[in-house]
Amino acid sequence: MASAHPAIAELATVVGPDNILADPDELLVYECDGFPIAKGQPTAVVFPTTTEQVSQVIRTLVKHDLQIVPRGSGTGLAGGAVVYDGGVLVTTSRMTQIEKIDLPNRYAVVQAGVRNFALTEALAGSGYHYSPDPSSQRASTIGGNCSTNAGGINTLKHGVTTNHILGLEFVLPDGTIMHTRAGGVCDGVGPDLPALLCGSEGTFALITRIWCRIVPQPAHFRTFYAVYDSTFDACKTVTDVIAAGILPTSMEMMDGGMIEAVEAAFHFGFPTTAQALLLLEIDGIDQVLDQQMKEIVAIAESNHAKDIMSCSDPKKRAELWQARKKAFGAVGRISHSYCTQDACVPRSKLPEVMAEVGKLGDKFGLRITNVFHAGDGNIHPIMLFDEDDPQQVQNVLRLSEEVLEYCIEVGGTITGEHGVGVEKLHLMDKMFNPQTLDTFDRIKRAFDPKRRINDAKLIPSDKLHVELLTPVTNQPGGAVVTQV
Amino acid sequence: MTDTTIDNTTNTITNSDGLAELVTQCAASKTPIVDYGVAHTGLGFPPPDEHIQLAYRPDLNTTAGGVIEHYDRDMTVRAHAGATMRELRDALKTTRQFLPIDADDDLTLGEVVTHNVYGPMRVAYGSVRDLLLGLHYIDGQGRDIHVGGRTVKNVAGYDVTRFMVGSLGEFGLVHEATIRTYAIPEQATLIDLKLDDPGLFDRVLSQWMLTDAAPAALSMSNEPERWTAHLIYLGRSSACAVQRRSLETLIDQTEGVHLIGSTDGTFDRAQDELSARRVWRRGATTLVKLMVPPALTGAACGEIQTWGESNAPVTIEAMPAHGCIFTGGELSPHGARKLGDLANHICRAHFGQFAWHARPPVIPEAPKIAPFGPLQPDWPMMWRLKKAMDPKRLFNPGRFITTRSHPKENDANN
Repeated sequence: MASAHPAIAELATVVGPDNILADPDELLVYECDGFPIAKGQPTAVVFPTTTEQVSQVIRTLVKHDLQIVPRGSGTGLAGGAVVYDGGVLVTTSRMTQIEKIDLPNRYAVVQAGVRNFALTEALAGSGYHYSPDPSSQRASTIGGNCSTNAGGINTLKHGVTTNHILGLEFVLPDGTIMHTRAGGVCDGVGPDLPALLCGSEGTFALITRIWCRIVPQPAHFRTFYAVYDSTFDACKTVTDVIAAGILPTSMEMMDGGMIEAVEAAFHFGFPTTAQALLLLEIDGIDQVLDQQMKEIVAIAESNHAKDIMSCSDPKKRAELWQARKKAFGAVGRISHSYCTQDACVPRSKLPEVMAEVGKLGDKFGLRITNVFHAGDGNIHPIMLFDEDDPQQVQNVLRLSEEVLEYCIEVGGTITGEHGVGVEKLHLMDKMFNPQTLDTFDRIKRAFDPKRRINDAKLIPSDKLHVELLTPVTNQPGGAVVTQV
Repeated sequence: MTDTTIDNTTNTITNSDGLAELVTQCAASKTPIVDYGVAHTGLGFPPPDEHIQLAYRPDLNTTAGGVIEHYDRDMTVRAHAGATMRELRDALKTTRQFLPIDADDDLTLGEVVTHNVYGPMRVAYGSVRDLLLGLHYIDGQGRDIHVGGRTVKNVAGYDVTRFMVGSLGEFGLVHEATIRTYAIPEQATLIDLKLDDPGLFDRVLSQWMLTDAAPAALSMSNEPERWTAHLIYLGRSSACAVQRRSLETLIDQTEGVHLIGSTDGTFDRAQDELSARRVWRRGATTLVKLMVPPALTGAACGEIQTWGESNAPVTIEAMPAHGCIFTGGELSPHGARKLGDLANHICRAHFGQFAWHARPPVIPEAPKIAPFGPLQPDWPMMWRLKKAMDPKRLFNPGRFITTRSHPKENDANN
């Protein structure tokens, strides 16, 4: 171990020498999460395996006055798990025990590092599953999903992470282990503390154990696919379906650029001249799904859809969803770097928002492709750029800012599912009035009065200031970090 | 518009500016503001002797049924927290939409949110925490706080919106809420089943939920001489027919359950039925709510029933899918105390919780009946949050977060 920080040896005694990294070469991997623009090197990375170890690790870091930065598997997309100010990453990825599956009471208890999909795999054959399904579900942890209140594809009908969390165990920034609503009861008396912790991006405490609701896995589906000559028509189909009182499981959309990229990479047979592709799924009672699908097809036709296809064939369904899930991989083949933006708008505003995103791409000279959760109004413009070009990095950041400001203007939010992290800190005062920001700060201090855990994430800090919009010498994608 | 004379009479306020003004005045005079709602006056510790009693009612001449904006194509509504459920129901009906919350007509939306009101329809639609998108509330400094928003997904900032659900009005005065709406189902099929014992759903519900027979609403009650389950299917008539057939098959395959009757009707009819089944709660002088793991609902109901047979007759209304049980009736103070002991015993055995909604007058010589229990381990955090969000302890002080219930823990956190 190259680092000489006195905390390292103490941490090693807590978690064991195999569960700590402190060699600068090894730490390079941990300098960013899924938001590559924000980077910072930790003093060390520790991998506790039990809640008690987490508590001891935190007490050790407090003793040495080191920032505590929680991390799951590092798939976050807003820089929430980036270490600034010489802090230490406390990674839950080795806390992988599924401790209990209680089918009669329809819940499971898992350690925070259990991968999202591992729980559903463990439930295979039971008829039940863990519903939240972020795109990262094969890699991301349930603890990380809780911290960011992760969404996914099937959330339109079945809800996001917070809707599936019954209770939590967490370790406060002074090392205290605490439980809220643990025990498999559907709700408790008093305010909903699990909901407050869910989506707090590791700024309150480190989540170590989760009581997850498990729900019946839908058995019958119909999948619908159509292409359009205009994004406007596809977006209007989405709002018309919802306005008709139909609640699909998911409604996903790709724009022309994305269709082209997916087709070039994987050859699914999509028409590359199309400007939009809508992929929609309904679940429910088998005997009535066909009638519901007829109504959806009629709505699509009234919005000039082409190549409409609906099916109940599991093989075809799997192919179509494979295409959706591979979209990000396809982007990787056409651009050196890309940055996925995340915002959510009222569904009825989608047509105008997508038009505005296109205009802003032109303004900043950046190519944008889109694949997004249209049914939720959750857009994901993907900006293609060259990470080695500082000007392009700046353009990405400025374009993002203008897209998000527009989304706020039309009644939307700066993040639907990725979180604020450091990426969107500077927009919080555009999203919330000063008194609301002050309330967030008071709540943060109730959990973490000395700002020891994940400071300067999600809400501005009075100790640390992270500035992404100022160009950094020789280090595209770096951040200016200053002590306040 | 606003009468803020500081006494215990009810002060009716019609807008958020009035609420802010009231809070500012009360903060200056250190006078608590009390709002326990209309159906939850017995929930929690009683208010302090000196207080202002608040009633927030929007001016319905300027808003249609309390609706501020109805984004009907987005299936969301922004409404005054002071609007009643009846007003909102009528207002949304014009676009064939509804709020899927089982709540009495006279409850305000604010009361529903701050008391986490739900009922049997939670099976299909979730509870308030699943439906609520955003809130506006006045904080302890008289400031207007806006959390959440109107989009169905939103992770910007802390989720104070959901935190407020069930907060018993201890953290601020909610004056506006944005919430998801749903299309009114074409049909409601109401089915009653006779159960030989209340534990049936403990054994079969997890399997039944995997079939077409999974209901949209489920409850059961101890009607005279029998346990009755009430199932509702909602949706297209063809779907309801399939579900009813699937249920009939399950009934044939399951011992101890018998079909009493089945009726097809409108969704309005279903809402009226749901409403009628909970009427007894408003009249009960003794009412306690228990929350246990779902598969122990029937067992807990059985224990309560057995207790009732040898002590005092009680009504039991349960939601087996969510482990929620309401029980009570016309009990003596002594009987209520014993029922409280039983609730405590059941909840301790099964990691459950209970909350009294109505308690008979206290017997002077007996110890008081604790309004909640058992003590939850997150209680110290609640105390810290109360201090952060309502530092002057203006809002329903001592109702839930109080030195009276847990003096030891409170001392530890002061």
